[in-house]
Amino acid sequence: MENLDYARLQMAFTLGFHIIFACIGMVMPFFMVVSHHKWLKTRNPIYLRLTKAWLKGVAIFFATGAVSGTALSFELGMLWPEFMKHAGPIFGMPFSLEGAAFFVEAIALGFYLYGWKNLPEKFHWFTGIIVGVAGVASGILVVSANGWMNAPSGFDYINGEFLNIDPVQALLNPAWFTQALHMTLAAFVATGFAVAGVHALQIFRGKNVELHTKAFKIAIVFGAVAAFLQPLSGDLSAKDVAERQPVKLAAMEAHYETQNGAPLYIGGIVDEENREVNFKIEIPGALSFLAFGDFDAEVKGLNDFPDDELPPVPIVHYAFQLMVGLGTLLMLAGLVYFISLKKKHWLKSRKYWLLFIITAPLGFIALEAGWVVTEVGRQPWIIHQVMRTEDAVTPMPGMKYSFFFYLLLYIILGITVTWLMNRQLKALNKEE
Amino acid sequence: MLYIVLFFLMFSLLLYVLLGGADFGAGIVELFSSRENRKITRDTIYRVMGPVWEANHIWLIILLVILWVGFPGYFNVMMIYLHIPLVLVLLGITIRGVAFVFRHYDAVLDSSQIWYNRLFRIGSIITPVFLGMSFASLISGKIIITNDYTNYGFYDLFMEPWLHLFGLLIGLFYAALCAFLASNYLIAETEGDARKLYRKKSAMYTVVLVILGFILLVYGYFAGFKFIEDFIHNPVSLISVGISGLLLIPLWRNIKRGNRIWSRYLAGLQVVLVMFAAIMAHFPYIIITAEEELSLLENLAPEATIDNLAIMLLIGGFVILPGLFHLMKSFNMIKILDKSKPKEM
Ligand code: HDD
Ligand code: HEM
Ligand code: HEM
Repeated sequence: MENLDYARLQMAFTLGFHIIFACIGMVMPFFMVVSHHKWLKTRNPIYLRLTKAWLKGVAIFFATGAVSGTALSFELGMLWPEFMKHAGPIFGMPFSLEGAAFFVEAIALGFYLYGWKNLPEKFHWFTGIIVGVAGVASGILVVSANGWMNAPSGFDYINGEFLNIDPVQALLNPAWFTQALHMTLAAFVATGFAVAGVHALQIFRGKNVELHTKAFKIAIVFGAVAAFLQPLSGDLSAKDVAERQPVKLAAMEAHYETQNGAPLYIGGIVDEENREVNFKIEIPGALSFLAFGDFDAEVKGLNDFPDDELPPVPIVHYAFQLMVGLGTLLMLAGLVYFISLKKKHWLKSRKYWLLFIITAPLGFIALEAGWVVTEVGRQPWIIHQVMRTEDAVTPMPGMKYSFFFYLLLYIILGITVTWLMNRQLKALNKEE
Repeated sequence: MLYIVLFFLMFSLLLYVLLGGADFGAGIVELFSSRENRKITRDTIYRVMGPVWEANHIWLIILLVILWVGFPGYFNVMMIYLHIPLVLVLLGITIRGVAFVFRHYDAVLDSSQIWYNRLFRIGSIITPVFLGMSFASLISGKIIITNDYTNYGFYDLFMEPWLHLFGLLIGLFYAALCAFLASNYLIAETEGDARKLYRKKSAMYTVVLVILGFILLVYGYFAGFKFIEDFIHNPVSLISVGISGLLLIPLWRNIKRGNRIWSRYLAGLQVVLVMFAAIMAHFPYIIITAEEELSLLENLAPEATIDNLAIMLLIGGFVILPGLFHLMKSFNMIKILDKSKPKEM
């Protein structure tokens, strides 16, 4: 493999790592704040214990998110210096705002973590809200920067030069809203189901059931509501992609022939050589409808684009199928939860808890798959239709070693964090 | 507008050097302490730095963002040619950052603490050393900007610029500066025996600093580093360093008298002066390559970007600074001074 491939792998791996911690850092504060609120209202010590237990977890995740994010800020330049040289001045605005958001978040977190004794109760609780809101704001801002790579705007590209730069327009690029909405929901789905799953496992094992049931209920509400909204927002995203990146849409669907009333494929194995999809289920007209809201609309196929502008079709297609499949499943799981609000006896059934143990990792898998769709689907461009990834990569050879270095470092870090969480849980169960 | 951006660039550099530096320094002080003293330092660091720990490090990110948005050509050179030392800086930041949190939030107190402590201390020293080396390579005159990969090997382009004695000296100098800052900072935060300890540390690191600085200048001069020559011939730089040296006298008076606030500000001011001297020696040509000197002011982003960045920074500044001061004040530290151990969360 070449230098470029390793640089890509490293980018993908480190981003994929960061996003997990970023999502938890974004969403967990909301769970905490709810539990904290219940403590203030009911003075039931279990809620206090839960809040503090989550808080310790968040502190650990937050630190890991912060260091991996710091590494990413360097990496954008270290791996893609040519990209940053030109893109930096254009899409810098979300990052400079994000800096402010991080600060607000860090300051509020300082108050929240260390303010149990010295701050007025209400104000202390409120700093927790600020942590969450600032986290979501920074998430939205980075995603807007990513949106700009998909839908470059706010400049004129003339003879290889970037002129008439307008940072505000770059921030408000055509992709920012759908992507930010979908991403924010995804963070809630993924974290909600993951946290609920962890607590479901404890309930399943019969450990400290009262506390874990309370924890489960807080987390799952967020996850389930977001899981219902997610496909709706995904549909908006798909319509957006159809308009702005038709190649990506075609790759998501492995749709080779330009067609009116194009069918939607479910499943299927992509045969790149013969440019067809085998073993698929076809729903006639559905793709045209999903992409353009019209069963007869024309959907451009991959064959109509130059070969050197195609992304790796199978990866994009499988990742998309995975995301949508899991999205549907999680929506159903959310439904089960809502029904169980009426049918209380379900909570006694082991199958019920087993379901939520199984769904625990699925949100994060869908989220990673979704990013693969977005990022790999944009290839070979780093800035859609403007700059190719291969022209952006660092001239320094030996990215292979850099990649393995990060791989090792983050695997160790990942294992340590998991092990630490397990210890937190055990300590929590012992307190019972 | 450009001046606002430049101001924030210098301001965040300064705060990172001071606050981040005090943070690294605390780890260094802990590293070079006896066993019992390590424990004291560990607890003090947690109490004092804990609440502002995150905030101290965001200055680095702000600095980076200003560079890449406002000075893209400059950032480009740094990121290509300083790749390796910066990876090592990141390694340091990563291990000390997570170790700091792990050691305070791990639910179980057992032998893994030993590892967290080790990693925290090691990270605390490698980060400033490699930061210093990265800075040194910018001014070393050894960077070769080229696309010619047949005549120049990997070593010439990506190792040579940072891997040399001069770089190492600057790295160690910065690490000593951090430890100096931290010990003065810690003097003000402690009582009794612990205070005596940090007083001793502060004296020790002052000596180390002066010696290292001297070796640095002499070696740099005789090895023909342009930066050092310019430094020595620049009156502003010399005067700043001179004042910084003279300030040692009031610093020591204040420490003796137990004036905590002044001693802290004085130590900070000294470091600011040293940094100012280094930057002024070459401003705005902060990158010295083998052939040319790159000016910060000639590698600007387009005007619209600079204006936008300036406005964002001003808005950010107004939002953040009051909050930050409030945070520092709320947990201040000097007032609270409860000698009891921090309550377990
Ligand atoms: C919990 C995670 C999750 C779930 C359940 C879904 N998605 Fe998703 N999806 C993401 C998480 C995600 C993501 C990781 O957050 C992405 C990557 C970039 C982005 O903005 O969101 C994404 C991207 C993404 C894109 C590409 C957007 C672009 O390239 O600009 C489309 C078209 C969809 N999604 C569509 C859907 C549909 C129709 C779903 C129906 C169930 C769905 N997603 C469920
Ligand atoms: C979709 C992708 C991303 C999302 C949603 C996201 C979101 C977040 C969030 C919420 C945090 C707060 C820390 C936490 O709560 O754990 C964070 C931290 C951070 N992120 Fe990301 N991020 C993304 C990608 C990136 C990228 C591409 C960069 C680099 C350019 C980056 C840079 C950072 C930095 C520097 C921090 C640390 C800030 C601190 O010290 O608190 N992130 N990210
Ligand atoms: C956190 C969620 C994200 C994930 C999981 C992710 C994933 C990926 C993947 C898989 C690639 C490799 C694509 C390929 O080469 O085939 C990639 C590339 C890249 N991503 Fe993302 N991405 C995320 C968010 C972002 C954000 C928020 C930004 C920028 C602000 C960004 C900037 C880049 C850049 C610059 C590249 C390299 C160039 C390229 O391959 O096009 N990514 N990312």
